[in-house]
Amino acid sequence: MEVRTPSSRCPTLPPKEARSCDIEPRVSRPRNEVPDRGSNHHLDKPPQQQQLEQQSCLLLLLVLAIHLPNMPPLREATAQRSAFSQSLRPYLQCVRSSLIAALTLSNFASQTTERHNVPEIEAQTSPEVLLTPLTIARNENERVLIEPSINSVRISIKIKQADEIENLLVHKFTRFLEMRAESFFILRRKPIPGYDISFLITNFHTEEMLKHKLVDFIIEFQEEVDKEISEMKLFLNARARFVAESFLTPFD
Amino acid sequence: MSIIQQHTAATLGDAWRTVNIDILNEDSSVNFDTTTLHPPQPEISEADVRNLSTQVRQLLRGGDAEGALRGCLETPVYNGVDAAKEAHLQTLIEVLQSIKASDMTPLLKGIYAAPGGSELLDVLMKYIYKGMAVGAPATAGLKSPAKMTPQSTGFSQVGSRPGVANESASAAMSVLLSWHEKLVEVAGLGCIGRTMTDWRRV
Repeated sequence: MEVRTPSSRCPTLPPKEARSCDIEPRVSRPRNEVPDRGSNHHLDKPPQQQQLEQQSCLLLLLVLAIHLPNMPPLREATAQRSAFSQSLRPYLQCVRSSLIAALTLSNFASQTTERHNVPEIEAQTSPEVLLTPLTIARNENERVLIEPSINSVRISIKIKQADEIENLLVHKFTRFLEMRAESFFILRRKPIPGYDISFLITNFHTEEMLKHKLVDFIIEFQEEVDKEISEMKLFLNARARFVAESFLTPFD
Repeated sequence: MSIIQQHTAATLGDAWRTVNIDILNEDSSVNFDTTTLHPPQPEISEADVRNLSTQVRQLLRGGDAEGALRGCLETPVYNGVDAAKEAHLQTLIEVLQSIKASDMTPLLKGIYAAPGGSELLDVLMKYIYKGMAVGAPATAGLKSPAKMTPQSTGFSQVGSRPGVANESASAAMSVLLSWHEKLVEVAGLGCIGRTMTDWRRV
């Protein structure tokens, strides 16, 4: 019998060609904001050069929009960094032990509607089966909310976002995954307000999938997504720098 | 003849379709009285918490970390105003921060071995989760663009380096995280399970 595990069925990374079509709008959005952002950074430069830089920024983003789909696969390009930073390990350990404790689910039919069986944490129709929600935070910008109930657990993750680029990348990335939520089984189509991505695990999931693999999947997702976002950001910046350089060479 | 005798704004609109009629039904499961799930708790006032906190600080200054921690955990504020709960949490976090990392495990083992120690550690677990949840609901749903620098690559002088302002907060979090790890090692996963299922919430 085939045992369905989320990690085998749900890779954290979407296939390359599918991802590239998602990347394009990511770049076209901030185009309008760029001029004033550019001028902030270069206050001490002569106005001509400022204008030139503004124009080049616009052009750069255009070029990026064209080039990004042909980006090389993200993982191969940068060397593997150390998997665990010092403060990340206790955080993920805490999430892991809380998840193991929370994933004790049983079948529970709806008390309001006959012959229905709904995740109680979503329906919120029986207050006595909703347990105390647990928050695990590494700092203000990185936290996990675990909302357990008798037959379902909702896990919401806030991914670290240090600046606007990361904000954008996280939004696009999570949206991409959420649009394909049915192939991820446990992914929720919309995150809880205040969080970036949510998972909903019901008793049916724990019955047909291995519980420890589910926990592993969430932890692995958290590890990977941080790496993924910072890599994407590095690539974006590297590309932007390269394009700006090649654009400005004729003006030397 | 129409069935609806009188047309009003309420009957013509469809707002009534979204009314949750279960709430109006006394026997509905939505109206389950959750106060029956735990015994009534004595109410603890803010003054009591302040008293306790000065006592705990004295113990801490005297070098009795275990006594200070026990003092905090023996009187959890289950029933009280938010200010009292908040003050008690602050006292406990202060105690936790003042204990060295190498002393955590022996101290927890000492408490766990003593009679009633398991309950005390359950209370500690509740406060650790509460400590980590501080700030989460307040910022939930609100993105704070003011705190964000426009780009980390641009050498902007306007905003400080991200993370500088909340370094103390993240230091407190990492203390709580290491306490959590040690606590699970000593008291086991059941400790988390009891935190979730206990209706006496701190």
